[in-house]
Amino acid sequence: MLKGPAFRRAALAASAVLAVAIVAIADAPASLTGSLKAGRLQLKSAGALAFGPDGVLFVGDSMGGSVAAIDTNDRTAPKAPVSIAVDGLDAKIAAMAGVPADQIVVNDMKVNPLSKNVYLSVSRGKGPDAQPLIVKVDVAGAVSNLSLDNVKFAQVSLVDAPDSNPSARQDPRTTTITDMNYVGGNLLVAGMSNEEWNSALRSIPVPFKSAAPGATLQIWHDSHGRYETQSPVRTFVPYMIGGQPYVLAAYTCTPLVRIPVGDLKAGAKVKGQTIADLGAGNQPLDMVPYKKDGKDYILVANTAFGLLKVQADHIETYPVIDSPTRNPGTAGMPFEKITSVTNVKQLAQVDSSSAVVLIAASGAGPAYAPGPPVGPMTLKTIALP
Amino acid sequence: MNRAAIAAAAILLAGVAAAAQSALQSKARALGIELRDGAFRVNGWAPPRAKPSGGWGTVFLVYAGAGKVPPLLGAYAVESGALVFHPRYPIAAGVHYHAVFRAPAGAMVTADFDGPPRPTNPIARVEQVYPTADALPSNLLRLYIVFSAPMSQGEAPARIHIEDEKGKILPDELLPGEELWDTSFRRLTMTFDPGRIKRGLTSNRTIGPPIQEGKRYKLVIDRSWPDARGVPMLQGFARSFVGGPPLRTPPDPQQWRVTAPAQGTKNALAIDFPVAMNYALLQRMIQVARAQALVQGAIALGNHEAEWRFTPAAPWAPGDYQLLIDTGLEDLAGNHIGALFDIDMFEKVTKTVERQSVTLPFRIR
Repeated sequence: MLKGPAFRRAALAASAVLAVAIVAIADAPASLTGSLKAGRLQLKSAGALAFGPDGVLFVGDSMGGSVAAIDTNDRTAPKAPVSIAVDGLDAKIAAMAGVPADQIVVNDMKVNPLSKNVYLSVSRGKGPDAQPLIVKVDVAGAVSNLSLDNVKFAQVSLVDAPDSNPSARQDPRTTTITDMNYVGGNLLVAGMSNEEWNSALRSIPVPFKSAAPGATLQIWHDSHGRYETQSPVRTFVPYMIGGQPYVLAAYTCTPLVRIPVGDLKAGAKVKGQTIADLGAGNQPLDMVPYKKDGKDYILVANTAFGLLKVQADHIETYPVIDSPTRNPGTAGMPFEKITSVTNVKQLAQVDSSSAVVLIAASGAGPAYAPGPPVGPMTLKTIALP
Repeated sequence: MNRAAIAAAAILLAGVAAAAQSALQSKARALGIELRDGAFRVNGWAPPRAKPSGGWGTVFLVYAGAGKVPPLLGAYAVESGALVFHPRYPIAAGVHYHAVFRAPAGAMVTADFDGPPRPTNPIARVEQVYPTADALPSNLLRLYIVFSAPMSQGEAPARIHIEDEKGKILPDELLPGEELWDTSFRRLTMTFDPGRIKRGLTSNRTIGPPIQEGKRYKLVIDRSWPDARGVPMLQGFARSFVGGPPLRTPPDPQQWRVTAPAQGTKNALAIDFPVAMNYALLQRMIQVARAQALVQGAIALGNHEAEWRFTPAAPWAPGDYQLLIDTGLEDLAGNHIGALFDIDMFEKVTKTVERQSVTLPFRIR
């Protein structure tokens, strides 16, 4: 048997396609924080964020090819309903980091479900020397830095070791993490490679075990003329449909797809079913499912379409969309545009009736794919519409 | 005492003397703040042995922004009898620093400093865009843009355009979203919208593929794209290309022509492909092995990525060799060995996983 990077990679690829996935629908481990070790966490970048149980924050590090689980030690529930309003957030972060505000890029934002404090992943700079920061905005609006110098954490690598390529000084491969969510004892990670066309959803058991990067899930859309797409998932959320756990995934241009978590088993065929199409020329940014006046909704933040309130009542009854006929077409679950809040660049749920939004002007570029937001940035809570 | 020991003792004495002198100077100095070696230092104040109950931040803070902003991140230390603040990040171009020291006794002193000016000299340009051929398949999947210097992220949608023959910018050609940079921020991977490439998908039926066979296009990259320092490029980039027929056949190593060099030479082994292949994957998905060990060497590409050359580190020894080819190797349309980019993978998945690498034998004589 030959030993070499090609064979390592082949083995990984084989497990990815054959195994599809083993996703244990287990309860959260008794003590996730107990599995984390104190030390200095070194990130190369800070992108997608997700919260697990016990105030554990997951941080996707695309440049480092890894995911970290961090104990935020932030578990105290707020004393009053949360109302945050911070103007000039970019200038405040820039002042802490010691750069002009135009060098601050906010990559993701999530709310700690226990404390309701807001966490943002930030890049200080826009090039290869950019430094990652995790910024915390507490319920009183105070902006601080989550120090990674002495935290309890665990880290898991998403990539196999670089190939031995004597002609390349630096491995050019990266896996860009587009979104993450903690679902039933696993961290689901959506990402795409800058080389192979293998965008995929990866399932990583939590607590992280050794260096095992978990199974890669390949999702096929049976709505797309039976052709698999492997398009990158832009954003997704866990969602119960008919008492069964699903993830709802939104893709560019803008199908909403339900994927049954229970199907993600070894050897199973995994089918994603398109149940809504929000229209072309658009990218979804974030989704917040909620209930209001006894009805289910999903608030979706988008690049070109702004905030859309999607009706999700009886979501199990929506037929699978096989062949949208219009272009740009919309189909499936009905939705309405929310015009009271505009320029939303990040959206995260606070509680059953409110969300927090990061508002800023779009950067240069077409409406469906603008550059990074330009300041000033405002962070504020909104009532879910 | 030998000569080295004498020298060491002399240096030690000199050091002690310098420290004593420095302490004297510190006492004699007027209260002030200086920025030295990237750290802010309070002169003329002897810090107490124990830090204040609220931390050193109760007496000394540095701000790097105007208005009501949090102080600069960093750490305090007492060095040579002076309180010093080390910013967490290096002093940055274009930043104004405002340092405030308030002694417990009440004396207050402030000082202002400026980081170096922001650079203005352009250094970056587009070195190459892969694939390099003039005719590109209508189902082309990916472009690799290689820059001469690290670039700023977040600019691609505004700075990269594909124009038709009349110079009209065509929207929706490239997949928006996360920019796929390498870690040096010198190579950017762009993807054509796979929804428009894949047969059977709605957008392929309704809008058609992003590149139409027989039509001419121009890829334009604006000079205004800022490099990682925020300075625009030296020059823009433009290259016209013509749409060719789509690639609908998965790469088949049996169709490749392998040219083996003679033993004892360090001449390149060459593989000629019937069509151009993915530039990035050619760098690592073909390897040379002999007697169950990988042969070390350098890879080069030619003939618009339709030729792969391997120059060994050591001269070729006679005997049997193998080319190890990862079946993930893609052509320009994302077809990989044994599978088309847009075949119905769902039905065939059990048939395509049987082999994950293939080998091609060759002999050195």
